[in-house]
Amino acid sequence: MSGRLLFALLVVLSHFGLAGAATPDCSRSYTLALHDHGLLYSADTDTGIDKDVADELIRRSGCKVIVSLMTRARIWQLIESGALDFSLSGIANAERDKFAGFAWYFSNKYYLLVRNDSGIRNLAGFEQNDTLQLGVIRSFRYSETANRLVDKLQSANRVSQAGGLAPLYQTLMRGRIQGMIIEPFDFPALDANMIRELSTIYEFNDPPVPHGLIMSKKALSVTQQEQWRAIVNAMRDDGTMRRIFEKYFPPELAAALVNS
Amino acid sequence: MARVPISNGATRLVLTLLPWLILAVTLGVTWFTWQHERQNTRTALHSQFDFALREAVSRVEQRVFGYEQMLRGVQSLFATTPLKNRAAMRDYVEGLQLDANFSGVQSIGVVEWVPAQRKAEHLAAIRAGGFPGYGIDPDGPREVYAPIVQREPYVGRNRAPMGNDLWLDPVRRSALEKARDSGMAAISGKVRLKVDGDANAPPGFIMYLPIYASGQAHDSVAQRRAQLVGWVFAAFHMNDFMASLYGSQPPGLTLAIYDGTDANDASLLYRSAGAADADDPARQAAVSANEYMVEAGHSWTLSLRTQDAFESRYGRGIETQTAAVGLGLSLLLALLAWLMINGRNRALRLAASMTEELRHMAQHDPLTGLPNRALFSDRLNQELARAKRQHGRFAVVFLDLDHFKPVNDNFGHDVGDQVLRQVAKRLQGSVRAADTVGRIGGDEFVVLMADLSDSDRLLALAEKLHQALRQIFVVDGHELAISCCIGVAVYPEDGADAITLTKGADDAMYRAKEVGRDCIQFCNAAG
Repeated sequence: MSGRLLFALLVVLSHFGLAGAATPDCSRSYTLALHDHGLLYSADTDTGIDKDVADELIRRSGCKVIVSLMTRARIWQLIESGALDFSLSGIANAERDKFAGFAWYFSNKYYLLVRNDSGIRNLAGFEQNDTLQLGVIRSFRYSETANRLVDKLQSANRVSQAGGLAPLYQTLMRGRIQGMIIEPFDFPALDANMIRELSTIYEFNDPPVPHGLIMSKKALSVTQQEQWRAIVNAMRDDGTMRRIFEKYFPPELAAALVNS
Repeated sequence: MARVPISNGATRLVLTLLPWLILAVTLGVTWFTWQHERQNTRTALHSQFDFALREAVSRVEQRVFGYEQMLRGVQSLFATTPLKNRAAMRDYVEGLQLDANFSGVQSIGVVEWVPAQRKAEHLAAIRAGGFPGYGIDPDGPREVYAPIVQREPYVGRNRAPMGNDLWLDPVRRSALEKARDSGMAAISGKVRLKVDGDANAPPGFIMYLPIYASGQAHDSVAQRRAQLVGWVFAAFHMNDFMASLYGSQPPGLTLAIYDGTDANDASLLYRSAGAADADDPARQAAVSANEYMVEAGHSWTLSLRTQDAFESRYGRGIETQTAAVGLGLSLLLALLAWLMINGRNRALRLAASMTEELRHMAQHDPLTGLPNRALFSDRLNQELARAKRQHGRFAVVFLDLDHFKPVNDNFGHDVGDQVLRQVAKRLQGSVRAADTVGRIGGDEFVVLMADLSDSDRLLALAEKLHQALRQIFVVDGHELAISCCIGVAVYPEDGADAITLTKGADDAMYRAKEVGRDCIQFCNAAG
């Protein structure tokens, strides 16, 4: 009898424990920044995956969250300083792990988009041809091989930085850069800009890289991060995340992104 | 003259090549170090440049953001009061106190969204508000209008007529649409501001924020379009905007900003002082880069180039000094090695020649250069051994000058010495190559006549010596007549060893003196 009572007590306690983790502290308002990047977020229409994820996070947390648009470089800078609480679709590296916590909700692969007239036949060809310039978004990181390529070209002064995708597409079309690194969110923009016709896509042979909610370690305690992570996990578990992705991708691709 | 061998050939070759080898190695090290330093310097230059580029972009971004915040204040004003509340707008802008920190802003204003059906109502309202001459410019029926209805502060150029329909200008319209659909700030492309009458006015841009009907939802593009009532805007001269940036740019960099992603004269928005020189094709910037910024939904190309001041500040490390010092040290080291090796060779050669000289001095008479008693004894013993081995024959001839003492007494030792030298010369000229003439003391000479076949020949040779000294000697203008006594001992007849033979010859010579000088005496003749 006492054993049953103890079991029931444990169940209740663990339930409270979970409930406690899933309810963030709303005693202050939070800040969340979006960056304009393909299907993740389009400032032109104020829509995108990140926007939907943010809306759902805000709704579930019940907290006041001020959402703004910034460049990715500025976002990382403010996350590091603690001035910004959250951003979305972030990937980790050793440097970022020092100042940011993550709550993963999807993974994707990276691709090198190269102009057909640059004359390369494979991924390695881009690095070998000294005349080819790569366009990247400032502060963006990618999969391991892609990072290596970017760092190498950077040291050879073969990288043009940009604040967003739009100018990179334009400079690629104009031939000022010959390649850029893209993600599945960028595919629709390739068709819209007629870029697909004049370019080829090469896949980096790396495993999919996890993306997640970025949480500033300076702004949020470990406990607070756990509370927000619990919301993200709940959104994955109950299929909300997959449904958000299905708004933008075919079901199979959405499932692959969310479940990989 | 026999040379003392320094060492074997291979070592000598190594020693000869060593300075060159040292030069090659030290030059190689210098080159390597120079390359390394050059790489370091280049890396430092690039990282300084990258930092400056990041800073430049960041400063521009921050300033755009600052102005956007300012404009959001104006936007927020219209969340609390209708668009036609001109006084509220005027007071608000006055309250902003746009001082030098906001020198980039030429005017802050309001654009009203006027669908055709509301045009008459719109015109009437503005005219009634104190602008009886107000009209939409250009006039004419259109579906929609977006006229400027207010400009603050209402002074100077900002008093220019209102009513310009911005919807007709594709550059402005694009930004207006973007702001309307996104609900966020949008920046226009390069424009000449409406308040600038002058065609040469500096390039400008305009930032727009949308105003939606208050109290209405505007969460989707459709809602935003439906609820639009107008825009607030801030108009900028790019050069003033850039002048109001916080922080400072490192010296030796030129900066230009172009509208869009195509950098050309037509799209040029701003160029820092000295940047025009940077476009001089003759001057190649060590580092240059374009960064494609996205400001309030609009692309700008920020172009940064290094100039001499920057390159000399960060791009000239210690590689030049490294090269100079390395080159100097390499040459010095090689020279030092050369000097050491050659010095050793010279020292060895000197030692060898000195040894040879000492040996010569030990075996020769210093006055005449003829073999002395010691060397003559050697030669005599060698000849004796050879003659014994080969059953040969040879002669030892002792020769003493007659009347030599008076020469010294009368004319001095200098003259005497010269006579002795001439005697030595004449004696050497009178013997065969195989013979040895030596001086064994004062005026005593000795001749070893090697390998004699017959006695006639011996006599002829002795007579030749005798006659050689009978010739008159001329020294310092003095004519001197000197003769000699000659004693001859022959091996094997007169003795089988050196002592017997020399004694025999010596005795024969003394006999000659006793006989009356100036003659030849043979040992066996006495016997």
